[in-house]
Amino acid sequence: MAKVRNWQLGRDMEYPYVADRPAKQFTMIMDTNKCIACQSCTIACKSTWTWGKGQEFMLWNNIETKPYGFYPTGWDVNVLELLGEQEWDGDDVYTGQTVFEAAPAGERVLGWAPAEEDWSHPNIGEDEPTGSADETTYIPDKPHSLMWMYYLQRICNHCTYPACVAACPREAIYKRPEDGIVLVDQTRCRGYQECLTACPYKKTMFNLETRVSEKCIGCYPKLEQGLQTQCTTACIGRLRLTNYLSAPDEVDPRKPADFLVHVRMIALPLYPQLGLEPNVYYIPPVHVPTKYLTQMFGPGVERAVEMYRNAKDDPELLGLLMLFGSTERIWHTWDVSDGVARAYDEDGEEVVAVPLREPTFTRPFEFATEVAGEPVTGFRHNT
Amino acid sequence: MTASCTNPFLLAFPTTPIERIHDTRSDYEILAGAAAALADEIDEPRMRAYWKGVLDGDPTPYLQRVLSGSNATRGVLFDDLHESCKDGVPLLMNARTYPRHAGWEQRQEDKPWYTPTGRLEFYRPEPEWQAAGESLPVWREPVDATFYEPNAILANRRHPSINPRKPEDYGVPESQLDVETRQYRNVVRTWQELKLSKHPLTEKDPAYRFVFQTPKYRWGAHSTAVDSDWIAMLFGPFGDPYRRDPRTPWTGEAYAELGPGDAKELGVSDGDYIWLDADPEDRPYRGASSDDEYYDVARVMMRVRTYSGMPRGVIRTWFNMYAATPGTVQAQKDDPGGPAQNPATGYVALFRHGSHQSGTRAYLRPTQMTDSMTRKAYFGQQIGTGFEADVHSPSGAPKEGFVKVEKAEDGAPDGGKWRPVELGLRPEAPSDAMKAYLAGEFVSRTRKEA
Ligand code: SF4
Ligand code: SF4
Repeated sequence: MAKVRNWQLGRDMEYPYVADRPAKQFTMIMDTNKCIACQSCTIACKSTWTWGKGQEFMLWNNIETKPYGFYPTGWDVNVLELLGEQEWDGDDVYTGQTVFEAAPAGERVLGWAPAEEDWSHPNIGEDEPTGSADETTYIPDKPHSLMWMYYLQRICNHCTYPACVAACPREAIYKRPEDGIVLVDQTRCRGYQECLTACPYKKTMFNLETRVSEKCIGCYPKLEQGLQTQCTTACIGRLRLTNYLSAPDEVDPRKPADFLVHVRMIALPLYPQLGLEPNVYYIPPVHVPTKYLTQMFGPGVERAVEMYRNAKDDPELLGLLMLFGSTERIWHTWDVSDGVARAYDEDGEEVVAVPLREPTFTRPFEFATEVAGEPVTGFRHNT
Repeated sequence: MTASCTNPFLLAFPTTPIERIHDTRSDYEILAGAAAALADEIDEPRMRAYWKGVLDGDPTPYLQRVLSGSNATRGVLFDDLHESCKDGVPLLMNARTYPRHAGWEQRQEDKPWYTPTGRLEFYRPEPEWQAAGESLPVWREPVDATFYEPNAILANRRHPSINPRKPEDYGVPESQLDVETRQYRNVVRTWQELKLSKHPLTEKDPAYRFVFQTPKYRWGAHSTAVDSDWIAMLFGPFGDPYRRDPRTPWTGEAYAELGPGDAKELGVSDGDYIWLDADPEDRPYRGASSDDEYYDVARVMMRVRTYSGMPRGVIRTWFNMYAATPGTVQAQKDDPGGPAQNPATGYVALFRHGSHQSGTRAYLRPTQMTDSMTRKAYFGQQIGTGFEADVHSPSGAPKEGFVKVEKAEDGAPDGGKWRPVELGLRPEAPSDAMKAYLAGEFVSRTRKEA
């Protein structure tokens, strides 16, 4: 076991391999507040990567309703139960155990093996709130203590300290040094499924036809062309950003992911306490009890929710959020001036511009134009 | 090509460079083909000429006619639209404002509303409306989907403007409450009276006590939420691409949502199968009898999902799923464990028996069928009176009913509860871990000393 620095926990931790951060780290930021669970992302991913034989059940990207949705069945309840109750010391330091530190003797990771049936019912719990409408559906308080639910967008977290890598006896899983994408070498894998047991997010999957493991590849053929992933560009809610995150000692506030994760700390990791330093970050939902959110995203949720609620008066943040889903290209910096947010590529060339407020234009009642050489006249109506 | 009256964009789906798969035709090609065959049969060349564009493989003249004939798309050349959409850029609708604000000319300028007075009208003086007691906006109980007396107007009986023609005025006794009569009964009740009344079915059999609603699903229109096996798998909680429970009709399946309190009273668990029955007078069809050949094709069976968001006494099933047919029911009988797929046609049902429409029917509304009402035309800006399709005409969407429920089968294929219930992950019987998870108890924060 080596000692590695996990900034999300505010401390060093045990990991089977020495730390070796990639040149830049693939990241995705999700604004949970904007998701409508349309599953366009799921289908975009599935029709690109997992349409084959043996992959019928596979959703590298899935959307689940929290708290009753799971894919696979019960995944986060199970790992939290295994790990038991854990503690954060205030906002900064995790004093509990990670899945590496709590591993049983002779094993590298504390995990559980999903049954084949657990991959059925991928949309169980859809739209299901907590509480009960037996008495009333009127919800007076915020956050909603009685009835709430929200949608969680899930892909592989391309973790800094992946449990799948730690657990693989064949060293078939590796993290690309150039962008931190975690891949399974299909020729080395022998199908032992240790990664399925180890990954607490259950984002490696066993192909029933090839009998080896597979996982989300972060759409790396697109990334290599400077394009955002399929789930990002298909997103109806424009709530995803594919980008790169700097190591905590190299933060550049002009970069969008660094700004959201390290500077403003509005985007938080999923179950940071597990210790994998996952690289997908979530802007938490604003209407859900803090205790549940802290369990899922760590102790920074109150501050993040507060900041999100005030985003309308915060042009720098608002502009950045408006640029989500506005272009297929990966962009690197942004600015906001005269009510317009602009994103730029690595050479400082403008990629896309988005107004912060949709303008209204009024046209004259009568119009006259020409179509294929013929005059066309008419009147414009709204109603 | 597509547009809507609220969306500011005009779109064309670019023609695909991929060749059509199998021997398939679009609707207009089928119509044109039939017309061409008839033209030869009866020697009438005009029937072929009518579809010339389609038969020559170029439907764009028809699309151009639609664009040129519609107010907000006049002046657009189809080829320009198509080229632009190939690059992913839609055109703008030619409305007064962008974005389109409904009623903008009436609010910002002096254009009249499309009514006889040109103003917004909240009182309907036409005699048919007065006879119906609907000159003012009033609340009527639903014709079927109510716990109380159906279709009653809820109002103060002394109100001078709510004075309808009563059943007796038409020679019908007020006590006549069969499904046909009650759709046009005009009776006024106060809430004090209404809340003591009961649905006529409940009077006969207290098991009838659920309002059954079949709304459209938020994911798509018509059947798009179940059109492919992947989408069916993602539709609701019972999806499984491998159909591990051999009873399931397809990779997903229809379900009825009940509040947990109602489910408990009925003795049904999450994931169980139920039978659902509406008014036997006309559903699942008139004169139905359990020994009819097609009775189990028409009577609906579905899974139950206990859903905490359902109010007491209300059951919901989504509107969009493929119904069982004689072929799909026979297929599951002939091949136990196989899907509900008709081997002759390939059609797959999302129900083992019946459909959501086994429990609903359409009703006619007299005030949607008057000849004196002034309204706008469907196309253009003209105003006229009386019938106009989709503007002033009956819309008979069968969406609601009043039903009883009985358990049909256990949730697990070999008896017992559905697996997620057994695992303690459902609201019905949460495990200790699930309870701790819901309360966020797996993590705590120790406060730092100040
Ligand atoms: S989420 Fe799971 S599969 Fe993905 S890198 Fe982390 S441990 Fe590996
Ligand atoms: S496409 Fe976007 S809005 Fe739709 S489910 Fe996926 S993340 Fe949510």
